[in-house]
Amino acid sequence: MNRPRNTPTSLKSPPSVGGPVLDAQLHLLDRQVIDVDGLPVTTVDDIELEGVEADLPISLGARAPVISALLTGPVLGTRIFGGRPPSSRLIRLPWHDVSAVDVTVRLGVRSESLSASWVERWVRDKIIRRIPGGKHDPD
Amino acid sequence: MILTDVLGSRVLNSEGDLLGRVADARFVLDQPPGQLLAGARLQGLIVSPHSAGSFMGYERNDVTRPWPIAQILKWWHRGSFLVLWEDIEIMGPETVRLREGFTAYHPGLQGAGPGQAPQR
Repeated sequence: MNRPRNTPTSLKSPPSVGGPVLDAQLHLLDRQVIDVDGLPVTTVDDIELEGVEADLPISLGARAPVISALLTGPVLGTRIFGGRPPSSRLIRLPWHDVSAVDVTVRLGVRSESLSASWVERWVRDKIIRRIPGGKHDPD
Repeated sequence: MILTDVLGSRVLNSEGDLLGRVADARFVLDQPPGQLLAGARLQGLIVSPHSAGSFMGYERNDVTRPWPIAQILKWWHRGSFLVLWEDIEIMGPETVRLREGFTAYHPGLQGAGPGQAPQR
């Protein structure tokens, strides 16, 4: 990469804002997602923004984009080899289901209602349930 | 738009000079509340002149330990700055272009972060 030459030398203090501040890499990406019952659901692999299109000029005074959903999906391969999975392979966790952002991202809904946990439900219903003793809690 | 498309993009000023790469995106929870938590508005992008990624955010908070790691990572991200949404002209997976006369802000988090987001 070419070395930057014209980086700003004097920085101003950021304007005060009316709410908590989150940096995506520090506070959201790769965080564990916990449902309302405290059960782990998945991790945050990406974030979907609403209100901005890639490579299109942004008009002066345009409303800032907002987070519409947290995304999860099969990202292991693309993290090793580069790129990202197609958008159709990513599963959305709507932002309106998020109840708090802490060490983990907490949801206000049960994981049973989320498409992000379909693999776990499928394994439970199709495999675990057919194993003798797999239909009830351990004694 | 998918956020990780923008992370790592080259950041140019209005003359096309390279300023750095997008290291992170900053959001403010100040939008009308949804069912559970306020909406998260994109406040701006963190630009790092020396690295495409931001590791642990030592350059944005007051954490100083472990001391050698903190010193190395703060040095690695020296010159990082925050540019607000209002100063972004085009945002894409390859480049982010800033408006003429953009303002660079200190990237510090001022005590915000996990645990600070209120539960409604």
